Amino acid sequence: MDARLTEEHERVQETAREFIESEGGTDLARRQADGENVVDDLWDELAGLDYTAITVPLEYGGFGEGMVYLAALLEAAGRYALPGPLPETAAVAVPLIRDLGTDDQRSTYLPSVADGDLRLSLAVYDDETEPLPGSIQMGAERLGEAETAEFRLEGTKTLVPYAGETDVVIVATRTRESQGYDGVSLFAVETDHDAVETTRMDSLDWARPMYEFSIDGLTVDEEALIGPLHGGGSALVTAMDRFSVAGTAMLVGAADRAVELSAEYGTEREQYGQPIGRFQAVKHRTADMWVDMQGARSLVYYAAWALDGDEPDAARAAAATKSFAADRLHRVFGDDIWNHGGMGFTWDHDAHIYLKQAKSWRNFLGSPEANRDRLIDARLATERNR
Amino acid sequence: MDFSYTDEQETFRHELRAWLEENAPEGWLEDPELPDDDAERVEFLRDWQRTLADDGWAGVHWPEEYGGRGASLVEQTIYREEMARINAPPQINLIGINLIAPTLIEVGTEAQKQRFLPKILSAEEIWCQGYSEPEAGSDVASLTTNAEANGDGEWLVNGQKIWTSYAHVADWCFLVTRTDDSGKKHEGLTVFLVEMDQDGISTEPIHQPHDDRTFNQVYFDDAVASADLVVGEIDRGWDVVMTLSAFEHGSTSIYSIEQRYLALLEYCRTETRNGTPLVERDRIRQQLADFDARIQAAKATHYRNVSKQAESGTPGPEGSMDLLISDELRHDLLNFAVNVQGPAAALWENGHNAFDETSGYIRSYGAWIAAGTGDIQRNIIGERVLGLPKDNKSKTSHRSE
Repeated sequence: MDARLTEEHERVQETAREFIESEGGTDLARRQADGENVVDDLWDELAGLDYTAITVPLEYGGFGEGMVYLAALLEAAGRYALPGPLPETAAVAVPLIRDLGTDDQRSTYLPSVADGDLRLSLAVYDDETEPLPGSIQMGAERLGEAETAEFRLEGTKTLVPYAGETDVVIVATRTRESQGYDGVSLFAVETDHDAVETTRMDSLDWARPMYEFSIDGLTVDEEALIGPLHGGGSALVTAMDRFSVAGTAMLVGAADRAVELSAEYGTEREQYGQPIGRFQAVKHRTADMWVDMQGARSLVYYAAWALDGDEPDAARAAAATKSFAADRLHRVFGDDIWNHGGMGFTWDHDAHIYLKQAKSWRNFLGSPEANRDRLIDARLATERNR
Repeated sequence: MDFSYTDEQETFRHELRAWLEENAPEGWLEDPELPDDDAERVEFLRDWQRTLADDGWAGVHWPEEYGGRGASLVEQTIYREEMARINAPPQINLIGINLIAPTLIEVGTEAQKQRFLPKILSAEEIWCQGYSEPEAGSDVASLTTNAEANGDGEWLVNGQKIWTSYAHVADWCFLVTRTDDSGKKHEGLTVFLVEMDQDGISTEPIHQPHDDRTFNQVYFDDAVASADLVVGEIDRGWDVVMTLSAFEHGSTSIYSIEQRYLALLEYCRTETRNGTPLVERDRIRQQLADFDARIQAAKATHYRNVSKQAESGTPGPEGSMDLLISDELRHDLLNFAVNVQGPAAALWENGHNAFDETSGYIRSYGAWIAAGTGDIQRNIIGERVLGLPKDNKSKTSHRSE
């Protein structure tokens, strides 16, 4: 056992930090929030550093790395709430295509992702209030009985991250009557198609935009189907687990930074003739923030490692990661605002950027409550064998 | 990054597991229950530790030359996991094994090591730790128990210690005294190894809220400390205290907490209210799941701490994090365990219920305080990890220097 990041992981974190800082750090997120599209320029640079190639298999021009490596990088990115669909592309779409795609699909998509020419996202929700999997309702109707199947897609997906800044969206559809993940089929849909429209929503986290994704009668052939017809559900669940761990890795990076900011402020800011960090009310709160951040970080690393190795408890670990982090890191960001007093409650301070990111992440791809349900079901199913 | 155990580490686990199957106290694996009677219990625990020591399973982290196994930090983690798995009886001489012996190995004389280590290991001599005083809890540097040279090569000790676990059964005490009060508070301290069975020492058990009497007040009235049993140097006891303190924070109880969680889970699976198993009630499911997530987080954090420490060689302030996490987790879990008993939570013993954590719940308040309260641990983290300014009091506390 050696549960530490390797030197290589740490080197990647360090170079990523240096790069993002040289680009302006959280200014990138602020510019994105102000309505500027920073993703295009940024993406070229990320590709230049090979970050887009990390999870792409070696034979398709990538590095063949997994979630641990990516989580280490995303942690660095999260310190600055770095905009761009890196989790969506590298943690979700690439492994889906790698694991379920045909040879043609792999050679169509994966080298372009590695080169930085292709960005992808994931569309699961049809409804902003209905939880998963019930929310997956968009139909994909099979046309005719020809040997080469064609499908007709129609409807509107919602809450699609970065749909306006990506080339392809993997759309979860329902091809067989069911309420669960059975009967779900995944289609790759190009965003520049005439029948497709992306409309930016007014998201809580302005730095990570959400889109409506409307398909007005689009006929696609079998090449658009990722994985088996009706049988994409379990792969989707694993993909969402990867998404959860990747997104949480970003929050951990942000939390690490928030603790740092609180500690710096507690050292510098004087009130009543002494640094405020000398008061235990501040010191202990900051210590608790650090402990919670470390707990979330440990869960991210463990879940990433378990997903990479296809360990039997990978899904349980991902559910634990999401539920633990959603509640506790949310509190860390709130405490950071608190520690900074009035300064913390200004637009100029970064605390609100992190808080909004955490809050919009809370219920996305499964609320903490839903993840706790998954977790306890998994525990009850295995506990007797211990 | 690799959370899995190597083949060599798994071999260690299987060796230990096989040994436990063979050597656990009779009937223990089926029904782990300590004798009720105090004297019988002490005898039982001494026997158990001797059995462990005979085959090298007490003090696994000690160097082999002193009868240990030289186990790596990861192997120590496996050891704790396996002991928790069978809910093994505690080692009665745990303070000796985990704190005092490693300190002696580091800073004791060769004669002290030869004299004391084998008997610590076999529990032939049980140890207590004379640190806290009524006016000095975590703030060890402010202690006043006094030792004075009597001119005949001995020292006479006068004063009072408190919260001294096992003092009523201990044969020896690792005693911190003040030998010079002219300088700064943490100067002029001296550590002695003091024999408990003498006229100058009396102990008085403290009645604890969970009805136990395992810690004590200890009174020193011209008690004799032998000059050749000074640890380190006269007036330089602070260094020894610091050495021991590094061992004090270097472990975790997360595995035994996990075992309690699994027992609670089983209870909630089988116990019904109005015909519905507890585990099917939404609020209870949610809480159980939250504990599960917290336990997973604590374990993975501990693995990371151990891996880091294996590299750096020194226990860092991460030990404070382990302690803080487990204390809070244990308390919350036992509180919940009492709550799910329903109206029977009003009873000290829940009779027919197989799952009874009331005493543990009350005891968890004590665990919160032992080895430094959560507040002390938060100070350590705030100051040593996050670089926040020291508060005036903790400048002199051994826990945070």
